[in-house]
Amino acid sequence: MLRLEGVTKSFAGKHAVDNATLTVPVGQMVGVIGRSGAGKSTLLRMINRLGDPTSGRILFGDTDVTALRGRPLRAWRARCAMIFQQFNLAGRLDVLTNVLMGRAFHMPPSRALLKMWTDEEKAQALSALESLDMARMAGQRAETLSGGQQQRVAIARALVQEPDIVLADEPIASLDPRNTKVVMDALQHINRHLGITVICNLHSLDLARGYCDRLVGMSAGRVVFDDAPAALTDATARDLYGLEAGDVIGHAPPMALPAGAQPGFALAGS
Amino acid sequence: MRAPTSSLRERYPEHFQGFGRDRFVAAAIGFALFALLIYAMGHLGFFDGTLLAGFGRLFEIVGLMLPPDPGSWAHVKTFSVSLIETIAIALLGTLSAAVLALPLAFLAARNVTAQRVVRFLSRRSLDTIRSVDILVWALIWINVVGLGPFAGALAIMTADIGSFGKLFSEAMEAADRKPVEGITSTGGSHVFGIRFGILPEVFPVLISQILYYFESNTRSASIIGIVGAGGIGLHLAEAIRTLELQQTSFIVLMILVAVAAIDFLSNRLRFALIGRRGGATA
Repeated sequence: MLRLEGVTKSFAGKHAVDNATLTVPVGQMVGVIGRSGAGKSTLLRMINRLGDPTSGRILFGDTDVTALRGRPLRAWRARCAMIFQQFNLAGRLDVLTNVLMGRAFHMPPSRALLKMWTDEEKAQALSALESLDMARMAGQRAETLSGGQQQRVAIARALVQEPDIVLADEPIASLDPRNTKVVMDALQHINRHLGITVICNLHSLDLARGYCDRLVGMSAGRVVFDDAPAALTDATARDLYGLEAGDVIGHAPPMALPAGAQPGFALAGS
Repeated sequence: MRAPTSSLRERYPEHFQGFGRDRFVAAAIGFALFALLIYAMGHLGFFDGTLLAGFGRLFEIVGLMLPPDPGSWAHVKTFSVSLIETIAIALLGTLSAAVLALPLAFLAARNVTAQRVVRFLSRRSLDTIRSVDILVWALIWINVVGLGPFAGALAIMTADIGSFGKLFSEAMEAADRKPVEGITSTGGSHVFGIRFGILPEVFPVLISQILYYFESNTRSASIIGIVGAGGIGLHLAEAIRTLELQQTSFIVLMILVAVAAIDFLSNRLRFALIGRRGGATA
């Protein structure tokens, strides 16, 4: 169980995240919604500790995540995989090496820095890629792939981390509708079939409603809504999004695409 | 419909103030620099006729250089051997400089070395090396290891450690932060971030810098040859001193052909190493 207690992050006197308190039980799929600049990314990055809170605590079970340093901190990051809007792959490296970075914490550097992967590691990475229908691309450079393919590589990297939590920071914001569905379906599959907690920042309200068990609404750094998707009325949503409301509410959900138009997605339920 | 300018000015004073003054300062600095340029040109004798008078002499020298002529077949052989020696000096010096500069560059790059003291020390030592010119290094090394190509290679190596260290570390600092962040987020250590996040990004830049320096050092090597550090420079200096101007132009021509060949080959090599899209990776 992940708990945030009064987490605050300030940049130059401004609160990007202001006194956020949340409890996420194991296995939930949480959508964090809100307009641009509401503090969604900052919140997620603090959970992975890519950013440090100015005050407040983040707890996972009995562990105080905010107090971790050095190797225990890296162990925590390995347990809480992150997926980024811009994929954050090394473009010049091949897909397989990028996915193998998901094992980075567990590898002895002496061997890994020379790219001497074990067969076991390679098999794990390939199987993750295969489950996302990306194994054929394993030898290609990441930068030659389309956005949707790169995000699937990033998801494969997250999968080989064998994480307890997957944090997805606007994972579909750079993607077209077809790839949006592929990526969101993959996250849903990770949550439903592997039982991994997923916390996903989403700009689109319709997607958040369609995929998540629970929605957390943020506005100006504060958590202003926290309930089941059904409890979010259009009026509340309009408050949450302000001027951006028209962009995120009432658009046809991309789930309406014909089934034949999507690449196969078959995560082995291992 | 927008808020009136005055209220915007009130709310965001930092975007309105001082704009006119900045432009005045920029114009004043520009004018001062131009005045300094004119004064310096006058001081160096640009306007007192020596340049115009000298032009005639320049054409005379060029006339004496034509056509390029080595004098004898034996000369061609000597020059060729020396030219190959020059290229060898440049290659050895550049490569060893690159190898030694890489770890220093890592220590000097802000996004690699968080330790401020280490970064400061490595930067200052690179500065120190760089502040001594290659010709001075050549004279120093001649005193240490004696006349000859070894001194030349050492001179190029020491001079370029400073330049490479600076260029490499700046390339690393300019590298995209995202791949590193991706690796950090998986629990990978800092070393992993450098090896798989930064190094693949900067690899093509480092390669092209090394290859450019190799080409440039082939020219430098012919200069340090003049002070006795091996290579074709010795023959070039000799030919100029004895006023064998046709030989001089022949040697210059040989260097030109060698540099052009290196440029051609280094381009092929660069693409082979960095790969076109989808090719080999670092």
